[in-house]
Amino acid sequence: MKKIIYLKRLPLITALLILAMALITACGAAATQEPAPAVQEEPEAEPTEEQAQPAEEEAAEEAAEAEEAAEAEEVAEAEEVAEAEEVAEAEEATEEATVEEEATEEAAVDDQEIITEVVEESEAAQTVARGGTTVVSDEDVSTPRSRYGGEYRDVDTSDAVSFHRYQTIDSGSSAYQGMVWSGGLLRLDENTLDYIPHMAESYSISEDNLTFTFYLRQNMKWSDGEPITAWDFKWTYDQFSNPENEYPRLSQIDFVTSYEALDDYTIEIKIDEIYAPALAQVSAMVTPYPKHIWENLDWGDPETNPEINSPSVVSGPYKLAEWKRDQFAIFEANENWWYKGRPNIDRWTIEIVPDQDIAYQKMKSGESDTGPITPENLEEARRLENITVYEWWPAASIWHYVGLNMREGFPTHDINVRHGLSYAIDKQLLTDEVMLGQAKRICSIYPETSWAYNPDVPCYEYDPDQAIEAFAKAGYTFQDGQMLDENGEQLTLKLLYGPNTSQTLELIAVSVQDYLADVGIAVEVQALEWASFLEATSTDDPDWDMYLGGWRSTIDPHIMFTIWSEESIPDLNSVAYVNKDVEAIFEEAGRTYDTDFRREKYQEIQSIIAEEAPYIFLFYRKSRSGQNNRIMGIEPTALGIGWNQEDWYIEKEKTD
Amino acid sequence: MTRYIVHRAIQNFFLLWLGTLIAFTIYQMAPGGPIQFLDDDPTATAADINRLTRSYGLDRSISVQYFTWLTGEDWTPNNPTWRSGRCISNPNKCGRGIIRLDFGRSFFFKGESVIDVIVERMPATFTLAFASLIISVLGGVPLGIYAALNRGRLPDHIVRVSTVLVNTVPHWWLGLLLLIVLGGFLGLVPLSGMQTIGDGSLLDRLHHLILPATVGAIGGWIGFSRILRFEMLEVLNQDYVRTARAKGLAERTVVWRHVLRNAIMPFVTGLSGIFLLALSGSVLFETVFSWPGMGRLFITSVNARDFPVMMALFVIGGFLGILGLLMVDILYGFIDPRVKYDTAK
Repeated sequence: MKKIIYLKRLPLITALLILAMALITACGAAATQEPAPAVQEEPEAEPTEEQAQPAEEEAAEEAAEAEEAAEAEEVAEAEEVAEAEEVAEAEEATEEATVEEEATEEAAVDDQEIITEVVEESEAAQTVARGGTTVVSDEDVSTPRSRYGGEYRDVDTSDAVSFHRYQTIDSGSSAYQGMVWSGGLLRLDENTLDYIPHMAESYSISEDNLTFTFYLRQNMKWSDGEPITAWDFKWTYDQFSNPENEYPRLSQIDFVTSYEALDDYTIEIKIDEIYAPALAQVSAMVTPYPKHIWENLDWGDPETNPEINSPSVVSGPYKLAEWKRDQFAIFEANENWWYKGRPNIDRWTIEIVPDQDIAYQKMKSGESDTGPITPENLEEARRLENITVYEWWPAASIWHYVGLNMREGFPTHDINVRHGLSYAIDKQLLTDEVMLGQAKRICSIYPETSWAYNPDVPCYEYDPDQAIEAFAKAGYTFQDGQMLDENGEQLTLKLLYGPNTSQTLELIAVSVQDYLADVGIAVEVQALEWASFLEATSTDDPDWDMYLGGWRSTIDPHIMFTIWSEESIPDLNSVAYVNKDVEAIFEEAGRTYDTDFRREKYQEIQSIIAEEAPYIFLFYRKSRSGQNNRIMGIEPTALGIGWNQEDWYIEKEKTD
Repeated sequence: MTRYIVHRAIQNFFLLWLGTLIAFTIYQMAPGGPIQFLDDDPTATAADINRLTRSYGLDRSISVQYFTWLTGEDWTPNNPTWRSGRCISNPNKCGRGIIRLDFGRSFFFKGESVIDVIVERMPATFTLAFASLIISVLGGVPLGIYAALNRGRLPDHIVRVSTVLVNTVPHWWLGLLLLIVLGGFLGLVPLSGMQTIGDGSLLDRLHHLILPATVGAIGGWIGFSRILRFEMLEVLNQDYVRTARAKGLAERTVVWRHVLRNAIMPFVTGLSGIFLLALSGSVLFETVFSWPGMGRLFITSVNARDFPVMMALFVIGGFLGILGLLMVDILYGFIDPRVKYDTAK
């Protein structure tokens, strides 16, 4: 009988179990790992734009000089702003800013330190092509590579979602897609950061700067041997531009009025008005999919279209051999790859590991060929005998800031308070201590590596006295170690950061708290899980005064515009910065191809924003990657190390 | 018996439904959503976000979302209040609802069917859970018997103290520690995954399985030894045991035939409970050991706010739990004929 009573409780126990599960679910969020960054930047991570040849003195000039006086950059300003066309600086729609950190960061490691300084180089990113010009590639893409063989064992902390470039925006997927899909009519030159012909052998721009014509290389093949033609591009464009097909970045092609294939190898793209990053965007927006395979399949439904998760016909350096979700993917060299033939390394495996520590351990033990390097383990990594650490200052670096809520009703609405906060924090020391030399100061919205960088903006060097003075202007009194407002209450600010698993952010938050305690301000720190953090910082009704954020800078400065426009409140413009002058200057800079004029405008913007201090600008980061010594041919540039991934080879003697 | 089972089934079905209601509400209340991640992407504008919200049907009220999740949207009025954008533009993509066993499509996995996503990961989870269960029985049962037979003596204390000690640290943390020591420093076990890339032989898989399964078994190991010790002691004090001893039966016969057989009863309940525990524990262990199962999927879907997958895992977990407990009830009937289910006097 006793047993029966016991049994009767079972439903209750079941109910409790169910409830417990629901609760665990809800709490689970808090305990989980850092998600992949919301946005990836393609050029760095993707092997699609590899390329070894320094084609910097573009054929552009030859063609151009005959026609107009125009070859070089400076010319533009003298002439007509409107027709000057700038090839170089453009950058990529997809390579945007990112609020993230470790996850995006390429790891790095090593004993011989290889550092690339890119500051000067990015200056070069301004070759100007003019309306009415034609640019022809002078690059040899038919001589095959010669160091075949071996296997490269990559690791990643996040698995891909799908091979469908027009459905995903995560970095894991982007890495996988880069293996099998070749995209980009043009690509960034790894030294000059100019856009140079890639899948297109040449291109021309109309006199009015509104029509771009690309002439494809005629030797390109899909992995099944079929030619890659303009019709593949056109078909792909038609698919993702259909609003029903859920392409997350559809708004990025709003300025395109038509995308046509004129014949097998000619693509003509028209845009509605002059837009500075246009060339980069129109040349990068289509990664063609094999029309002859996909045509009869559903574009977006993985249930009926097996090609989405296991593409059988590809255009990239590798073919997918096997993919086990959450475990690993195996890629094999594509013999039909159009760009200098098959890649050197035969097999490329990507293993999914739970976190950065395990990834690092695997590299250390030789179980993998690469691994992430945090500032903390950099010293150790440099001493590892089997590992080389590559380091570089990326053209698109991640920079960090403290966002200050500028909405009415918050103490930080007052510019004097924002100045006071900026002065109160020793940003140089914080950078050194937290990043251990792996970052440099940033004082406004572009890092030193940008061609639009303005060295002459207020930087608010650490000065507690000046901070107290600034607070005094805002009506606060510093008394007995406390910053008191008019009612005699201590000034208390709330600081958010996320994801809560980031040690770097935690260190920054605590440092900020310490510095502000010195001037009598109490800071309440709150750490949030990633999605919650995003929601908290993208609401019209925030409950915070400050948050820790980060952006990935872009090669074309114009992309930053969205972050500072009133329209983007509260999503990208979380601090609610409103300045119509700044918006007008951005507009003006985006409606021309004159680089000098644009630089002047962006510099003006940097001064204004630094002066208004919507952020406390902290630092931008260096990138690192650790690679096993047996991997040869790695050459870091401002684009990172991935740009010539297909030329890497394996040193036979050292193979273990 | 049949009546009892039917009765229980109905009761549990109701519970499960109630559970889904609560879970759905809690998930919806959590901050963020499946397309929150576009918020910090300057290439996705508010227009993009709105378009996707409509397409996924996330702009509908929570009650409509729950209702269509439960019963499907293909029979609802063809308007945006009831149907997602996907369903309106392509009727083939309308959800059919959980009551017709359609778990819907994943947001995170871009339209993949939820059931495929889960089924793909089931073998990994069950392998780990079964291996853990076997190890905990093999470790826990002898320990419990041993402790009971040596009650109050040193071995009993050692067993008790050590189990308490092991229980004071979170097992996933212990797992992480063992992983770093055994895998990282000593290189005895692999650091992650279920198999070596390109290998996958039985031996290779066992090598990958051994540490996660052992760590996963700790909970059961301690639980079993305690339950068994307690039950054994209870039975050892029974009159019939004394009688058996008085009859002059060998101690071994007494223990095996009379004591253990009777002590094992509650253990059977424990067994299924532990199995459920192993399933829910999979969330932690799979994350720590990079085990490609449902537990990790759960974490992924929670992080990504992938409601359809979260809900499906919830329903499947709840269903398995209920089924497990029901099975225990039935098993009782076989093991112990005294247990009667019909409530009729």
